[in-house]
Formats: sequence, structure tokens, C-alpha cells
Amino acid sequence: MDVDEIDEEEFGFSRNYFLAKELGSSRKKSARKLSEIDLVDEEELRQVAANIEPKHEKEVKHLISSYESSYSNWLFALRCGFALLMYGFGSKKALMEDFATKSLTEYSVVVVNGYLQSINLKQVVITLAELLWDQLKLGRKTTSGSLCKSQQPFNTRSMSDLLTFLDKPDLEVEDCFVCILVHNIDGPGLRDSDSQQCLARIASCSHVRMVASIDHVNAPLLWDKKMVHTQFDWYWCHVPTFAPYKVETKFFPFILAHGGSAQSVKTASIVLQSLTPNAQNVFKVVAEHQLAHPDEEGKFFHTWVSHFYLHFHVCRRN
Amino acid sequence: MYVTAFECLLSQPFFVLHKASKSSESSAVMSPGKPRKRRLDSSPKVSLNSESLKENLKMEVFPYVWSKIESNIKDVLRSINADVFDEIGRWVRESFNKICSCRGPVDPSKSTLPYPFVQNGGLVKKLFTALVFTKNIETVDDILTFSELGLNLKSHGCYVANISSLDFSTKNGIGGCLRAFLRQLLMVDIEAADVSLLASWYSDHGKYEKPVVVIIEDMERCSGALLSDFIKMLSEWSVKIPIILIAGVATSTDAPANVLTSRALQYLSTSMFFLKSPAERMDAIIEAVLVKNCAGFSVGHKVATFLRNYFLRQDGTVTSFVRALKMALVQQLSIEPLSFVLKILVDEGDNKRSWYEDLANLPEEVINHAFELPSYRTYSVNRNNHAELNAMSLDHGLSELQRLQDLWRSRLMCLHEAGRYHKVALLDLYLEALDPELYNSRLSNHGCDNAKDKSLLSDSDKLFRLQKAEVTNQVIRKIRDLPAAKLSQLLKSWEGLTRGTVEVHEKIMELQSQMVSGDVKSHKAELTDNSKRHINRHRLNMEKDACTSNDKAMTLAGQTIR
Repeated sequence: MDVDEIDEEEFGFSRNYFLAKELGSSRKKSARKLSEIDLVDEEELRQVAANIEPKHEKEVKHLISSYESSYSNWLFALRCGFALLMYGFGSKKALMEDFATKSLTEYSVVVVNGYLQSINLKQVVITLAELLWDQLKLGRKTTSGSLCKSQQPFNTRSMSDLLTFLDKPDLEVEDCFVCILVHNIDGPGLRDSDSQQCLARIASCSHVRMVASIDHVNAPLLWDKKMVHTQFDWYWCHVPTFAPYKVETKFFPFILAHGGSAQSVKTASIVLQSLTPNAQNVFKVVAEHQLAHPDEEGKFFHTWVSHFYLHFHVCRRN
Repeated sequence: MYVTAFECLLSQPFFVLHKASKSSESSAVMSPGKPRKRRLDSSPKVSLNSESLKENLKMEVFPYVWSKIESNIKDVLRSINADVFDEIGRWVRESFNKICSCRGPVDPSKSTLPYPFVQNGGLVKKLFTALVFTKNIETVDDILTFSELGLNLKSHGCYVANISSLDFSTKNGIGGCLRAFLRQLLMVDIEAADVSLLASWYSDHGKYEKPVVVIIEDMERCSGALLSDFIKMLSEWSVKIPIILIAGVATSTDAPANVLTSRALQYLSTSMFFLKSPAERMDAIIEAVLVKNCAGFSVGHKVATFLRNYFLRQDGTVTSFVRALKMALVQQLSIEPLSFVLKILVDEGDNKRSWYEDLANLPEEVINHAFELPSYRTYSVNRNNHAELNAMSLDHGLSELQRLQDLWRSRLMCLHEAGRYHKVALLDLYLEALDPELYNSRLSNHGCDNAKDKSLLSDSDKLFRLQKAEVTNQVIRKIRDLPAAKLSQLLKSWEGLTRGTVEVHEKIMELQSQMVSGDVKSHKAELTDNSKRHINRHRLNMEKDACTSNDKAMTLAGQTIR
């Protein structure tokens, strides 16, 4: 009798187990998808994120202002030929720009927003060359002598030409350099090896000093020893600020946001912003035409694209 | 949507934050390349507050001191490579002569076609190649070596192009490396690169008496297929344009076989050359910069330990060591307000002069700071010096400090000379010499010796001290085993090193004269006495004499480190 009871019990237990298993597997097979999760709209999320009350504001402010005492050391390191690399948790954008505004007044400063998706480094180098040229002219007025007047405009020169100009050892004014401030040198637009090589070459020029920040824990893997020791020549500065990454994350799509129309508009605007001014104007003309003729439903755009390609190929062949 | 200018800047890939306000006067002082020959002039003619005065002083000192150190390091590296460079230079000349001897009379009209005109077909398509073994997996140390090699060959009448593995990337293809190669020789940017351009350049200007040398810094990092193609292409032209290849190899003799295709290997006629190892270079740099006081400052034990560990266990490159040294100088200047004195110390070289004039120009505040320093206090206590604290006494203090440092350096170098026979690294000796614990223990040991109370030291204590000063003790112990010839050689080098210090120098001279008289005695004995018994006794005596000289030398070395 007892044995029967035990058997019955065991049978009940195993039946329940298999029932539960079955139920579990049937639940797994349900047609629910990840995309069905009701995610909040991006606009709304951004709004909520913007309204998050920042904590320890006073302490963060105090911490950031405490770095001001190091400005003179940083400037000294820069003038000794090092490049500054800021690391540590928190946005370092405000801190770096404050340092540049207060301490680097004698030098021209170009800011590169590495957190954006695409950056044209050639344009940056052209700007640096133009600024150095201006700085040299300014220096020349105070001293005697004259710069060579027959100067080819910088925007038509090749990259290696520009870098040679920035690296010229025989310029008369020796301690004359321009500064380049790179926020997030490990950002998405600069993460590829070509950009890093280019940045390393810029940093190694004798008339350029670089101040950069990193936020990714593996950022140093972007560089080999040649770049680290002979080109960038980093002077590491640990400057945690605990400030929110408000600006840096603005151009990044939220992972938890709904991929609705708002986001595609955002993405399109990021792409448009990364284009050259000429290309932006072309797209503006197309968009205006499209808005003026809503009945054509993109016909114009198609014909325009094919014309554009044809024209491009003709130009290239010639 | 309304966008503020600020937001616009945030979304711009780049923007100009501000332009240079004015060309600064203080910045003009900094000139990394050429140090200005200026005395420390900080007399209060210019109304500057003390902060900006200090800023200006350190800005003036850094380029001056660093350029000295840097050029010193470059000289050291150049001299360490000099033998290999000479050897390579000779080989280049010989290879060029071989190419010239096998090529027939040159016909400029046909010189832009690849296939060579050859008299005896033996050397067709063979490319003379030097494999330079760097003994260092990190190519970063050899960038300078190969550029120096290039300059050296240029000065000996070769056309030289330095190409790195970056030019051999598959993305740019063979055109990329060819462009880099031609750009350096022809000095123009070429869109469509072709070797025939080089051939016409070579024949146009009648450059037949000079070889063309291509230096590839890091062979292993190049794309194998691309490098093979490049070698094949060069070999086709190797007689018409006498191209000679020099390739840096970081790993082993198998490297070319691993990188190149077997076909490309057949085109090569290789010779091997070996550079000095990073440890040897490191020792040479330490000697030249830190021990021989070129830097004007000494690094502390903690910094030296860090540098050594970083070099041996992590990075292994001389480049990072040099960088760390530069950083140390920046730190020193930033933290220590008196460090501008470095300029005077470095300025000296061999011609010593009084610094009084320079020091007298300094503001009183700065001089007073110097008297607060522990080194000056020790000096004045030792001397019972209660003289007035002014520039004159600071001048005396500084000269005394330098005298002591010179003494310390000469003794360290004596130990290093002794350690050379057993390949002891100077870095290790340097580190032990800097260790304050060892210094204190030696002092107390010395005290115990005097008090004849050695039993006070426990055995474990002694063992600990022995282990701590392992390298130094080892070097001293091994002096006993040195053969007489080497010992006299060692004494001779010691004599040179301790020339400035009277007591040690005298002892060395005494030892030397003892050894010489021993030699003379034994020589005479040999001449007068030929019997077997006497020779045996005489040998025993000689060994005994040698032992006592070795012991004396050992004791002397032991005394020097106290």
C-alpha cells in the first residue's frame, strides 16, 4: 500500500514536471519579438533624460575648478613638446575648453568634436595651416623679415604638403605653434586606423600641439608604440570630472529609444551635418523643389540623381 | 527649429575656438632645437612678479637642458652603432663594385628598359641585400637607427630612400611603396609611379658612380606578397640601376623565408649584420646621461626602480626610457622651484667656473629657499658652517655638492668597470647605488666594523643586506677571481676614473706599483733560477702575490662603496 502511494506521488511529481516543461516550451515558442517591447519614443526619452536632476553639482563644480591649479603645469608640458591626454570618468569637454580659453590665449586653438560620426581631417589640417600662417605673419610684424608672399592657397595643397608646412623646422619663429583640441579622440568618427595615423602625424608636427580626451577603457589599443612614443608623445592627465556626457551622447542614438520617425530624422540630420557645405546646398535645393512640388512624389529626385551620376562620371573621365 | 550658435558649434566637426592673441615674448625664449646662449639673467630690471619670473626661468631652462641630453643620447647611440654602420658602408661599396664590374658599358638610350645589359651572366637579377638584425622586437627603437644609417650612407655618397612597413600596406598596393621610394629620391610627388622614372632620373644626371640604397625598417611588418613583388621588380632593374637593399629584421634568420615568397628569396643575395641589443644601448645611455652628469640632475631610487622595471618587464624600449627621462625633467622643473640651477650645472661641461655671478643675480627669495633644502643643511652641519647665507655660500655649497656627486659617479663607474668582465648591467648597479636603505645599512655596518661589534647584527639581517646588494657584492667578490692581466687592466681604468679623488687614486697607484714590482721580481727570478724546484716555488709565490693583489683590489672596491 505504502509503495503504491509513493509511486502515485512520484508519478504526480513527474507529470507536473513534464507539464511545466511543456508549458515553458510553448511559452518560448510564442510569436513575441524583441521589437514588440513597448519602447518609449526617443523625443520623450531625451526629454526625460534632460530633466534628470544632476546630483552632487556643487562637488562636481568644485572638482572641475580644482584642476585650474594644474593649468600652468599642463601649459608647460605642452610647451615642452608633449601632447596632453585627458582621461577619467566624466565629460571633459568643458574642462578642456576652459583650459584652452584661459591658458592657451597666445596660440590659436582648433576644436575637433570627435564624438560626431564623421570628421574630415583634411579640412582640420587646412585650418591649422591657415592659423599657423596667420600666427607667423603676426609674429613677423613684431620682428623683422618677411614671409614668402607667393603662397599657394592651403585648400588646394596635398595632405603631405600641408603636414610638411606644419612640421617645418626652419621657420624663423621657433616657439610658434597652433593647438588642436580633440574631444573624444577615440570617438566613432576617429576610431579607424587611417584617422588615427593621420592624427598621429598631425600631433608629431613641430608647430602643432595636441590636447585630447579619451573615454573608452580600451582607447590606448588604437595606437602602436611608434605612435605613442614618437608621434603623439602623450602626457597623461587623470582628470575625472563626473560631469554628465550631455553633449557627447546627444548625437548617439539611444539604445532604449523607439526607432520611430523622429530617429530617422535625427540620423538624416547627422548625415547632412557631416557633408561639405556645397553638398549641403545641393540637398537643400532638392528638398525645396520636393516641397514645392509634392505631387511629383520623388520623380524629380530620381531624374536628378541619374543626371548627377552622369555628370560625375563625365567629369571623372575628363 | 531654432538652433543657437553654441549648439551649432557642438554639432560642427571642428571649429576655431580662438586665434592667437599676440606673439608672446616669453614663448620666444623656448626654442627646442637651438638653445640660446644666455646666462641666467633674472635681475629685477624687468618688473615681473616672482611667479612669472619662475615660469620664465623654467621655460628657459627646459629646452637648454633637454637639447643637451637629447644630443648626448643621439651621440651615444650613434657611436654604439658606428662599427656596424662602417661595416654596412663597406659592404655597400663592395656590392656596388660587383654590380659595376658585371655591367657592360652604359648606353643611356637603353637605360629605361628593365632587362639588364650584362657582360658575364652570373649576377643577373640578383639583388644585394643586407639583413640588419635589430635584436629588438620593438621597431620603435630602430626608427632613429635606420634614419641615422640612411644619413651615414648619404654622407658616403649613396642615394638613400627609407621606407617603412606603412608604405607596404595592401590598401595602397605596389604603387604606394614605389611612390614613397621615388618621392624621396626624385623629390617630387608622382601620381603614376614607375621604376622607369627612376631609371631615367639615374641615367639623365650621370649618376653612375653612386649606388641607390633602399632601407626597409621593419621587414616582418610588411605585407609579404607586396614586398616580394617589390623585390622582383627591383631585381629586374638591379644592374641598370645599382639598387642595394637593406632590411631591418627584428626576429630571427628565418624571417625572410617566412615573409617572402620562395621566388623572391631567389632574387636575394644576402649578408647579415647585427646591431647592439637594447640592454647594451640602455647601459650606454645611463652612463652618458645619468652617471656622467650630462643631465645635471640625478633621479631618485624610486624613479630609477620604476624606470628599470618598466624597461625590463613591460615596455623594453629605449625610446620609452628617453621619454620618461624627459617627463622627469618636466616634473622636476614644475615641482622644484630651484631647478633652474640645472642650467648652470649643465652649462659647465669640462670648464669649471664660479657660479657666483649667476647666483648673485637671483632674487633673494629664491636663494633663501636653497638654504632650506636638506642637502644644504647637511652640508652646513658637516662643515660647522655658520657663515652668512648669501650667494657666495650657495656657490660654495653647490661646488661641494658637485664634488661629492663626481666622487659618487667615479666610484660607480669603477664598479661598472669591474662588472664589465661578468657582463653586469650598469642599470642594476646604478639602482643599488641609489638605494637609501642599502646606504644606511652600509653606514651602520661600517660603524659596527669600527666598533668591532659585528655580533650585534643578526644573521638574517646580514643575509637581507647581502641579498639586497646582490649585484654590487657579486661584482666585488668576483674581482678576486680576475686573472692578473685583467686585474692590471682594471686598475688602469680605475686610475683614469678616479683621477680627481686623491685618496682612492693613491691607493690604486700603490696597488699598481705592487703588481709591477711583483712582475719584475718574478721575471728576474725566472732569469736567474732555472731549477725545477725553484720554478715550482716561484709559481706558488706568484699565485700568492696575485691573490693578495686581487684581495687588495677587492677590499678597495669594498671601501669605495661605503
